[in-house]
Amino acid sequence: MRNEKELLELINVHLEPQAVEIKREQNVSVELAPKNLIQALSFLKSHSYQHLSTISCVDWLEEGAFELVYHLFSYDDYINISLKTRIKREPGIFQTAKEIWPVAEFYERDIHEFFGVEFKGNDNLEEMILENWQHLPPMRKDFDTREFVNDQYEWRDYNGQKHTD
Amino acid sequence: MDKSTQTEIFFGPNHPGVPGNYGIIYEFEGDTVTSAKANAGHLHRGFEKLMEERLWIKNTALVPRICVEEPDINEMVYAMGFEAIGEIEVPRRADYIRSIILELARIQGHIFSIGGNAAGIGQYTVMHWGTLTRDYILDIFEEITGARVYHIYIRPGGVRQDIEDETFDKILDLMDELENERFPDLEKTLFENPNAQKRWQGKAVITKEEAVEMGATGPVLRANGVPHDLRKMMPYAAYDDVEFEVPTYENGDAWDRIKIARDDMLQSIKIIRQLIQNIPDGPVQTDLGNGLKYKIPKGDAYVKIESKRGEYGYYMVSDGGLKPYRVHVRGASTPLGLYGVREFLPGTRIADVPVWAKSLGICPPEFDR
Amino acid sequence: MNNNFVKGSWQEILDWAQNKSINMLHYCTGCGAIELPPTMTSRYDMSRFGIGPAATPRQADLLLVTGYLSTKTLRRLIYTYEQMQAPKFVVGFGSCTINGGMYWDSYNTIKQLDKYLPVEMYIAGCMPRPEAILDGLLKLKKMINNGEADGYQRYQDNLEFYHQNQEAVLGEVQRTQ
Repeated sequence: MRNEKELLELINVHLEPQAVEIKREQNVSVELAPKNLIQALSFLKSHSYQHLSTISCVDWLEEGAFELVYHLFSYDDYINISLKTRIKREPGIFQTAKEIWPVAEFYERDIHEFFGVEFKGNDNLEEMILENWQHLPPMRKDFDTREFVNDQYEWRDYNGQKHTD
Repeated sequence: MDKSTQTEIFFGPNHPGVPGNYGIIYEFEGDTVTSAKANAGHLHRGFEKLMEERLWIKNTALVPRICVEEPDINEMVYAMGFEAIGEIEVPRRADYIRSIILELARIQGHIFSIGGNAAGIGQYTVMHWGTLTRDYILDIFEEITGARVYHIYIRPGGVRQDIEDETFDKILDLMDELENERFPDLEKTLFENPNAQKRWQGKAVITKEEAVEMGATGPVLRANGVPHDLRKMMPYAAYDDVEFEVPTYENGDAWDRIKIARDDMLQSIKIIRQLIQNIPDGPVQTDLGNGLKYKIPKGDAYVKIESKRGEYGYYMVSDGGLKPYRVHVRGASTPLGLYGVREFLPGTRIADVPVWAKSLGICPPEFDR
Repeated sequence: MNNNFVKGSWQEILDWAQNKSINMLHYCTGCGAIELPPTMTSRYDMSRFGIGPAATPRQADLLLVTGYLSTKTLRRLIYTYEQMQAPKFVVGFGSCTINGGMYWDSYNTIKQLDKYLPVEMYIAGCMPRPEAILDGLLKLKKMINNGEADGYQRYQDNLEFYHQNQEAVLGEVQRTQ
């Protein structure tokens, strides 16, 4: 059973992190370059980090990047580790993690539907939650949801007073 | 596979055998399912986008609607994420009150789902008892917070208002009634009934390796012998001050998971009695200033708690402004509802598909968001 | 086009018999559906008024739209409504059916229900208590008894209006003959 400092030593020795940080008790965060991330995932999986919680994506519009975050947990150390990487917003292509954890196929399908990121190696990227969606991927920061709603739908007329937003 | 003997049907969304507005499309041959996939997305409201358009405090009213059966876990995780990024301390009395509310929510969720499981095999008496017992707990919530289902009570910095001593006496009387009158009746009617045992034993088996590979937690792992409980592994609120056990079984089928629901309720009653006996005095909220101007520094955090179905987590990112920059919701039954249906449903008989869907605790609004 | 096949006082007897036995379709479309089991079971018993659940659309009279509707559910709900047999009634439940409710700025939910289906009455709340549901359903029974609940006739008379609004949101909708 390792504690947070021993885990950071292990990562500094075997992987090439750009930044490491102990955020709180039992929570560690690591930043990596895109070409090193998949190899870091299989390295950690073979060192008792077998549980993949989820894969998140954050859209940094001014910096022109998408940030992908992988959250792992170990049943021996009881430590939560978040692996982060940044890819360019145009064209938004990354590699799949489906060979390591088969369930990652569905998390990547969700990110493709809402952000437009392509995952090479995952050929099951069709629509899952939306149906016949023809506009921009909705979670991007340049999709304005209030403007879309005011164009597409009409508001109820209460004796001549209309919705003013 | 000879396609001329396969038939494809749509199981739900309009069906009494599915837990909510969710569908499964499967092909069967004879009486056995041969391939399946999930038809999800009927409940999508775009919560993650809506949360980016509202102030930090306005989201406390929006967040309970993400998981309809057990809404308090959402308020708790949102408050924990805000406090983790902003490094805010919560008074000890507020920690105890938060734990009492979460344990009451766990009991009402378990008894409702035992009723739903029993209705799936035709025991309608237990369904009526389950809904009625849950109503007594909703009366206590109405006295504490003012509403039956969506409470909006736990918020960043503590809880909204204090609880009086008469309410604590009512909670203790209700715990005595549950333990001495309701649960023995339930034991004799459902758990010692050979029909129920035959319908549930050996069905919907998920082994330990499959569960760890998929990322399923909670009762699915405990039915295979792994004592997984985030209240002991990463303690939050007041759980480091109480003593309780984590029950486990060996076989990994639907019968074990329903027995774990009953055992969890008995442990929750024990925890509530200890918390009420030892609760300290003091304030229930740290002062964070004007609610319309909450601000926390730049940062991010992934926080998670143990709901009745497993690990439930939020990933929150703040850029120092008045509104959240990104909130990502990880529901407890996301891998089961989307991936587990494709891999583990083939091979069951058609009459057992509701048993599979309901005993695993699939809750559609948490992966549709 | 008039769907009443009997004339005169026979229609009053049919209306009286209809209001004493309403079959509600058991389809939980949104988050308001969590207050339906307490209304149906023994504490706030709804079957003493003659209202009970039915499993399929062909056997149901009342469609209770419990809460918000995403566009995916709206398509299935239109197919369900057109499969039910006249006379049939629709009740809007909660404030999301009136003007969008809490999700007014969401890109995936509809804002007014009565542009797509003919609604008899609304029950306000977020979410309504079981006593409020029973109050609303008793008012519906009075409306049926007096012959005022004629939503299915309004749908037939204004078919162009409803079909146009449905296709503006959903694209193409399959119609059966």
